[in-house]
Amino acid sequence: MHFAAIDWFIVVAYLILSVAAGLLGKKYIGNVSHYLVAGRELGTFAGIATLAATEIGTITFMYNGELGYKYGFAAFAAALISGLVMIVVGRTGLVIERFRALRLMTVPEYFERKYSRGLRLLAGILVAIGGILNMGVFLKIEGEFLTIVSGIDSRYLVAVMTVILLLELVYTVVGGMMAVVITDFIQYVLLSVATILVSIYAVHYTGWENIVAKVSSTMGSAGFDPIENPKFGITFLIWQVLLWFSIHTCWQTTAMRVFSTRTPEISKRVMTWTGFIYLGRGMLPMLWGAAALTLFGVGALDNGVPLPVVDGRTLAPIDAMPAMLASILGPGIKGIVVAGMLAATMSVNSSYLLGWSAVISQDIILPMREQMGKPALSSRSQIFVNRLANLFVGLFLMFWGLYYTPPGAVYLYLNITGTIYLAGTFICVIGGLYWKRANATGGYLAMLMGAAGAIIPFFFLHWSENVTGFCAFGLAALGLVLGSLVGKRAPTSLAGAT
Amino acid sequence: MHYWLIFWTVSLVIAGVSFAVITGIVMVKGYSDLRQMFSRLAEQGKHDHE
Repeated sequence: MHFAAIDWFIVVAYLILSVAAGLLGKKYIGNVSHYLVAGRELGTFAGIATLAATEIGTITFMYNGELGYKYGFAAFAAALISGLVMIVVGRTGLVIERFRALRLMTVPEYFERKYSRGLRLLAGILVAIGGILNMGVFLKIEGEFLTIVSGIDSRYLVAVMTVILLLELVYTVVGGMMAVVITDFIQYVLLSVATILVSIYAVHYTGWENIVAKVSSTMGSAGFDPIENPKFGITFLIWQVLLWFSIHTCWQTTAMRVFSTRTPEISKRVMTWTGFIYLGRGMLPMLWGAAALTLFGVGALDNGVPLPVVDGRTLAPIDAMPAMLASILGPGIKGIVVAGMLAATMSVNSSYLLGWSAVISQDIILPMREQMGKPALSSRSQIFVNRLANLFVGLFLMFWGLYYTPPGAVYLYLNITGTIYLAGTFICVIGGLYWKRANATGGYLAMLMGAAGAIIPFFFLHWSENVTGFCAFGLAALGLVLGSLVGKRAPTSLAGAT
Repeated sequence: MHYWLIFWTVSLVIAGVSFAVITGIVMVKGYSDLRQMFSRLAEQGKHDHE
C-alpha cells in the first residue's frame, strides 16, 4: 500500500464533505431551470470555478500526461490552442453571447428554435450518443490512476469506481446543477491545489534540465516542434483550432455553464478567464508526463519512445505519470493530491452526467412526447424525467466505462467521439446564428454528413485523426450550404424564452 | 529547436502563473459569489411562495 493513514483520512473527509455539500443544493430546486441551469444566477467567479472544474478531470490529467510522455513539449501546442481559442471566444462572445441571450438549457434546444423539432431530436440523439461514448472511457482510466497512486489492489478497481460513481450520482440526481455548482467550487479549489503541488514536485524532483535533455535525446527536435512531429503537423493544428472552437461553444457541459450565468456579459468573462486556466490544464500535466518519461522511460521502444519501467514492470505510457506521483509524493501530500484528483473526477463526472441526461430528457424524451400528441410535462415532472435519465446514464457508464478500453491515445479517442456530433452541431449553430439562408434541410445534411465524416473514415477506413477531423467538419459545412441552397427558406423566430 | 524550447518555457510559465493566480482569486471571490447566488434564489423562492 502506498497510502498512509493521514492520506486515507484526507480522502475520506473530502468525500464526506463533497457529498454533504452537494445534497445542500436540493433545497434551492424550485423548477427545471434551477435543476439544469442553476436558475441562471451564476456570477463570474463561481462560473469560472464550475466551468474549470467541469472540464478538468483526472481523465484530463491522464490523457495530457500521456501526450507529454509520448510527444514531449510538442504536445503543448494542443494545450496552447485550447486556451487561446477559449480566450478568443470569451473576448468576442462568438456564439456564447447569443446562446445566453436565447435563455437555452441545452444545445439541441437551439435547433428547434432555428430549424425544426425533428432536427432538435436528431441533434439530441447524436449529442447523447457522442457525449456518452466520450464519457464512457473516463471511469476506467480514472480508476487506473487511483489504483496506481494509492496502491489499492487493481482487483478492487471496479468496486472503487462504482462507489465513486454512486456518490456522484446521489448528489447530482438529487440536487442537479445546484449541487454540481456547490461541489464544483470545493472540487475546483482542491484540484487546483493538487495541480500546483504536483507541478512543483515534478519539476523539483526530476529537474528541468533533465526533462529537456530526455525529451531532446528521445525525440530530437520533433519533441519540441509540433509542425515537425509526425503525429501533429500543420493539419493537426488547424483541426485543433476548429475542434476547440466547437467545444468551447457547443459542448453541452461547457454550454450549460454559459446558459447558467446571470447575463451574456458574465458568460463572456467566465469564458475569457477560464481560457487562461485552460493553458495550465493542458501544459502542466503534459509537463508531468515529460517528467515521468525522464524518470521511467527506459523500456523497449514503442513508436520511437521508450516504454515506462517501474520496479521492473513495464507499464503503458498513460500509466507513467501516476506511477511517478506514487513514487515522489510523501505521506499527507499524496492524500491531498489524491483527494484533488478525486475532486477532479467527481466534478467532471457529475457535470457530464447532468449534461447528457439533460439532453436525453429535454431533447429526446420531451419532444417525442409532444410529437406523439401528449400534453407538455410540468416543471416538477420534467425534473423527475431528468433524474431518471441521470440514473440511466450513470448505470450505462458503470458497465460500459469499466470494461471498454479505447484504442490509441485517449486524447485522440475523445476528440473523435466528440467530433461525431460537434462537427454538425458547430456548423449548424454558426450557420443558424450568422447566415440567414441556413434552413432545416441544410441542418439535417450537416448533422448526418458531419457524423458520417467522423465515423466512417476513423472506424472503417482507419484514416488518421487529423484527416478524419477535417473530413467531418468539411462535410458538415458542405451539407449545410448545399441543403440550405436547395431546400426551402423557412422564416424562424428566435425570440422567446424557456 | 532552441527557439521552440524558449517559446514553450515562456508559455509554461505564463500558464502556471495564471493558473495559480486565478485559482487564488476564485477561491476568495467565488465563495461570496455563491452566497449571493443562493440568497437571490432563496429570495425568489420566498416570492414564489407568497
